[in-house]
Amino acid sequence: MTLTAQTERSITAAASGSSDRSNARIATASPLTTTRVVSAFTILVFFLAWSVSAHFKLVSPVFLPSPQAVLWKFYSVATTGFVDATLWQHLSASLFRVFAALLFALLVAIPVGIAIGISAIGRGIFDPILEFLRPIPPLAYLPLVIIWFGIGESSKILVIAIAMLAPIAISTASGVRGASVERINAARALGATRVQVVRYVILPSATPSILTGLRIALGTGWTTLVAAELVAATRGLGFMIQSAAQFLVTDVVIMGIFVIAIIAFILEIGIRRVERLLVPWSGRE
Amino acid sequence: MPHLSLEHVSVQYDGQPQPAVTNASVSVQSGEFVVLVGRSGCGKTTLLNTAAGLIAPTGGRVAVDGMPVTAPGADRAMVFQNDALFPWLSARENVGFALKLRGVPLKERDAVAERLLALVKLDGFGSKSVWELSGGMRQRVGLARALAAEPAFLLMDEPLGALDALTRERMQTLLLDLWAANDLGVLMVTHGIDEALLLATRVVVLAPGPGRIVHQIDANFGRRYAAGETVPAIKGDPAFALARAELEDWIFEGEAA
Repeated sequence: MTLTAQTERSITAAASGSSDRSNARIATASPLTTTRVVSAFTILVFFLAWSVSAHFKLVSPVFLPSPQAVLWKFYSVATTGFVDATLWQHLSASLFRVFAALLFALLVAIPVGIAIGISAIGRGIFDPILEFLRPIPPLAYLPLVIIWFGIGESSKILVIAIAMLAPIAISTASGVRGASVERINAARALGATRVQVVRYVILPSATPSILTGLRIALGTGWTTLVAAELVAATRGLGFMIQSAAQFLVTDVVIMGIFVIAIIAFILEIGIRRVERLLVPWSGRE
Repeated sequence: MPHLSLEHVSVQYDGQPQPAVTNASVSVQSGEFVVLVGRSGCGKTTLLNTAAGLIAPTGGRVAVDGMPVTAPGADRAMVFQNDALFPWLSARENVGFALKLRGVPLKERDAVAERLLALVKLDGFGSKSVWELSGGMRQRVGLARALAAEPAFLLMDEPLGALDALTRERMQTLLLDLWAANDLGVLMVTHGIDEALLLATRVVVLAPGPGRIVHQIDANFGRRYAAGETVPAIKGDPAFALARAELEDWIFEGEAA
């Protein structure tokens, strides 16, 4: 009830704001609030529609279990587990893979991005490689990675890391190229060597861009996760979803999807916090 | 006495039909305040950047005490119109940047930075972030940062161009104070004719198409300020108006009215 009341109030506020442009500019908070309220409303409608269709069995429960069933599955998998591991064990296996891959990707892609950004030779070397890797779907190179590196943990991490390389390297390169010429010149005129310019000016300038790349890479990492856990995994969210799908345990499939979405959302918020902490100056110049 | 000289400098950018600067000779000694004025596209900034070592001249040479300049150096610190401060560093860290490059320990760096911040009347602002400061304050941090390198010369590209009129006037007198107190050789680019006259010991007029020096006049208004005269008194002097008219003639000569 309060939600609808709020929506109406916000909509009224937005409407009166848009009729008067200067007013709209002063009350900048209201469009954002409106968006949030509408978003919350959308989610509510979605769950309501889901509940209703499940309740009246508009779709067979085998294909669409009720929200309550999914919630219950969340509890039962969290406590007793599914395919020999609890939800937490699946989750931590996946998180480990994604973050190990991220670490690896950062260590490779940031130097590569800097090389592309500051040197024509670096660009000549790495640009074609990145452009080659970028559009290939992880499922396409997965078999090759397995042939080369076996079915162990390292293959899974590598598959995710490869997918993360391009976004980080490209963002780093664009951040490096975007570093202000005046700042670079100022540093040089204060006596900075080439290496000092890179370390003290170019790298900090590129940090917001690198963090953006990291954010995109984490998203890519999660989307690659299921592919990475296709072969010879015994734990992991992707593995859990696939196993459940094979036995048509649809509630676990849906629950797994939600867990991935929620974790991705939490990570997104986390990175924004990190951004505010590391580059509070970004966008304020 | 340190002596910066541009000798018959020409700069031809790739793909440009005519040179940005041709055959320009300017010299700056410690204690001199040389100001470059001229219409847009006359090559003022190019000349300044050549003096800094950021641009290599295609003809002629730049030298400090007879030694050719091939790269930027801390003896020629720069101040920019858009302050070019490092926003990821605090005001104090910005000022201490030149010392950090030389490996000076943090404590010593901070002490020097605080002293210089006080010199530009920013005591107590050391730990502020750059974006928390006003345009005038940022420009003063930029000045302090340049001074920290203990340069013999200060090269400034329209340092006050982005400031409002009141702040600009206060910055002009601050520049004169710093210049007089530190025995610096200053080379500055500006669009303001009054500013050029008030600050300079010598005003160099450039004209575009191709960029070249067309006139130079000696001025002593800045020295008079340093000797204790007030700015309104100086600007009220008929000599100031006369010099101003002369400069305007040279700057706008050949331009369709």
